[in-house]
Amino acid sequence: MAPLIIPQPDTIPVSWGWFQLLLLVTFPLHLLAMNAMLGGLAIGIVQQLRGGPLQRQLAHRIAIALPLVIAFVVNLGVAPLLFVQVLYGQFLYSSSVLMGVFWILIVPILILAYYGAYLYDFRFTRLGSAGPWVAVFSLFLLVLVGFFLSNNMLLMVTPERFGEYFAHRNGTLLSFGQPGFWPRFLHMLLGALAIGSLFVALLGRFGKAERPKLASHAEKVGMSCFLILTFFNILMGFWYLLSLPEELRRLFMGGNAGATTAFAVALLLMAGALIVTYRKKFWLAFFHAIGLVVVMTFMRSWLRSAYLRDVFTLDQLQVVPQYSPMIFFFVILAIGIVCLGWLMKKTREAYRLEQGNRQRLKN
Amino acid sequence: MNYPIWFLPGTGGGLLIALISIMHVFVSHFAVGGGLYLIYAEKKGLKENSRPILDFTKRHARFFLLVTMVFGSISGVGIWFIIALVNPAATSLLIHNFVFGWAAEWVFFTVEIAAAFVYYYMFGRMDAKTHLLVGWLYFIAAWMSLLLINGIIGVMLTPGNWADSRDFWAGFFNPGFFPSLVFRTFLALTIAACYGFFSASFTADRKVRVAMTRFSAKWALVSLLAAIVSGFWYLSVLPGESYGLVLGKSPTIASLIPFTAGGVLSLLVLMLGAGILRPRLNLKPVACLAMLGALVVMGGFEWTREAARRPYVINQVMFANGILPKDMDRLNQNGYLKNALWVQNREVSGENLVAAGQELFIHQCYACHTVGGRNNDIVRLTGKMSYRALENYIKKIHEVRYFMPPFAGTGQEGRALAAYIAGGLHGKDVQDPVRTAEGKAAGLGLFEDNCSSCHAAEDLNGIFAGVAIEEIIGRLASLNEISDEMQPFTGTREEQELLAAFLKGEEQGEQPEKGTGGKAVFTTHCTMCHGVTDMKRRVANKERQELFSMLGRLEQLQRAMPPFRGTRQEREVLASFLATLGQGGK
Repeated sequence: MAPLIIPQPDTIPVSWGWFQLLLLVTFPLHLLAMNAMLGGLAIGIVQQLRGGPLQRQLAHRIAIALPLVIAFVVNLGVAPLLFVQVLYGQFLYSSSVLMGVFWILIVPILILAYYGAYLYDFRFTRLGSAGPWVAVFSLFLLVLVGFFLSNNMLLMVTPERFGEYFAHRNGTLLSFGQPGFWPRFLHMLLGALAIGSLFVALLGRFGKAERPKLASHAEKVGMSCFLILTFFNILMGFWYLLSLPEELRRLFMGGNAGATTAFAVALLLMAGALIVTYRKKFWLAFFHAIGLVVVMTFMRSWLRSAYLRDVFTLDQLQVVPQYSPMIFFFVILAIGIVCLGWLMKKTREAYRLEQGNRQRLKN
Repeated sequence: MNYPIWFLPGTGGGLLIALISIMHVFVSHFAVGGGLYLIYAEKKGLKENSRPILDFTKRHARFFLLVTMVFGSISGVGIWFIIALVNPAATSLLIHNFVFGWAAEWVFFTVEIAAAFVYYYMFGRMDAKTHLLVGWLYFIAAWMSLLLINGIIGVMLTPGNWADSRDFWAGFFNPGFFPSLVFRTFLALTIAACYGFFSASFTADRKVRVAMTRFSAKWALVSLLAAIVSGFWYLSVLPGESYGLVLGKSPTIASLIPFTAGGVLSLLVLMLGAGILRPRLNLKPVACLAMLGALVVMGGFEWTREAARRPYVINQVMFANGILPKDMDRLNQNGYLKNALWVQNREVSGENLVAAGQELFIHQCYACHTVGGRNNDIVRLTGKMSYRALENYIKKIHEVRYFMPPFAGTGQEGRALAAYIAGGLHGKDVQDPVRTAEGKAAGLGLFEDNCSSCHAAEDLNGIFAGVAIEEIIGRLASLNEISDEMQPFTGTREEQELLAAFLKGEEQGEQPEKGTGGKAVFTTHCTMCHGVTDMKRRVANKERQELFSMLGRLEQLQRAMPPFRGTRQEREVLASFLATLGQGGK
């Protein structure tokens, strides 16, 4: 067997645990926003194609929210991408180069998809029957971005394929032919659509007093989609589990206490989410789903470590300590959270004032 | 050498970085300056109680959102992607050193997005004071993003103590931090004003168009002048070598200067003429021209910043090809291929000379040179060089051209690289020529060893015709006086004579060109560096008297030029010859 080609990692300024923590905190936020984007857009398209005033209203509301959601998907993706580069840069940079053509294509594809979303929002009425097709175009591009991301995430943990570089110096290597790719990608995609359905239900609840029918319709659509999609995603999840190499699969079946516990908690959350959704308890279903995404992120992290454990473990990263920049970051983070809170408060106040004025005019 | 190289021979990574980064910085600086512009445009509308100006501001805010949120933010991620693809080693080093700086920048980016959305979607739906505060929050967050990024990427050009210590704060507050921050802030305001100027040209209401055109032009002029002043400040803190490159020693920068200056000039003229004096002239094509001018200025700056770091990607710390200067001795001694990852040929032999050379090219040259592409095409640049000339050139490449990194590897590896370029790309003979101590072959050999890295033999034909051997030897001993890129020839007396005879053309079988006419004087004094075609362009439409005067102060015109050393009579005939050239004559 040819020796593996793995670059030397650079040193890190604080212990790897800090970066792992930051990765595990920020990545679920990105996933939740991404789920809202994909699931919301897909349901919006179906609603608009089905026709009917309520369906159309719901599709329009999703269209309005979409650019904002995409902005946060991108923004919240930046932080985990940064931290994963710090922890696994030597693998991620290499795999990115190996699939360089597709990796850089993500940029123009995302720009096109994003402008499509704005077009769908700003020209919702004027686009008429072309509207859903603009949205389908954006959805297709966004799924394509997810496809490339999945390719890279799998490629980076399989350094035994790095030797194929010499046949792909122009950056055209992908990993969708590897065992486990498709169940992994489809599990992620179905999960995104399912959790995104709950986002649609949440969206309907804004201005519930003004449009109770829309709120009820959105909740009904969102909850039922979540129920059905999650059911299928459980099957997909088992396919994914079975597709893993045996030593990795065993990790979640008693081989590692932490991973097994996380898997058990995930199963419980999944069952709980299905039950409360069936009983139409929106908020309970919503929080179960968030919990599920967080736990799945943990499991994903375990899996990545397990894929690489023969060639690299995080404690091999050399620390050249300098803690003051991290403290600086936490201070900035606190200031940022205060600023975001202030923005939300002022927006809510203005919105309420506006609603009050409208109500007074009505009366 | 640590990371794989994304090899697109005809395209080159540099071009991709340039395309994405120039477009991104053009928008990202708008995202910073545009925040302040929106605040003051709104204040103007409120102060004048003008609904049309407020409507304009809201429309501009929408345009701002579409440009900065979509293109700006995604292309920002795009830069990150492309630098990691093209130079993963440098990206990794910066990410690992400044991770918390990037992370803090991400926080401001988040606040920026939220504030931008609230500003646009709540325009006219919030009380004016709070709405303006949201605008201020946006601007402060955006400017803080600029501040943080400026600190991190500034280290690439002016690393200061960070080059040795790798201390976060030493790197962040590098010598270029403040001048660069001030310069970029004014540049951001200039660009934001140009976007405002552009938006105004699309406004149907003539009164608003005139008001906002003038408003934007004032911003643009003041901030552009401030950017020019702070630009000189920035220039003054550059390390000596980078300073020299910016002032014209880098061919890349030298070729950019006319464009950048043209961009600045066009902005000044347009903003003054079609902005302040005659704002009604701000029609869509005029506004597009202003945007083009701003893009050229921004592009010129970014490209200059990039080229001023050469031969490094991170000044003093990492060469453009990702090799660390501290590894050079080891690589020269033990061989590059043995130490590098991502190579198939670990040893160089007679059988794999060209294949190993190609890998060396990909690893060490491709960072700046394409193969058959537009950007620094290696095929074009080495077309006149023989295998032997290349082999010699590779050994001293960094001495001949400061902006190029030294070759890292053994002599055998250097020969492999020469074999790939001469044999693999040009199909030339890659055998070592039989060296002889006598005659033409010896002269040619000396020429190839010492001169051919910059000169082709045919280019020098006739230059030394009629010049005595002793004088040629004298000139060879003082080559550094002609250009500081050349070094005096230091061969033995016998070698000096052989090379002089070769240059004189005696051994090339040519008849020396005699005469003291303008062309002969030109041949003797100028063709060392200038061709006739090149000179035609330089002296186009210049009067004889002006040219005569210029010949008296060549060293002041360009630092690299030596003073004219001919007699007064020669200067006169040369001026006449150049004037004829400039009028299209031969």
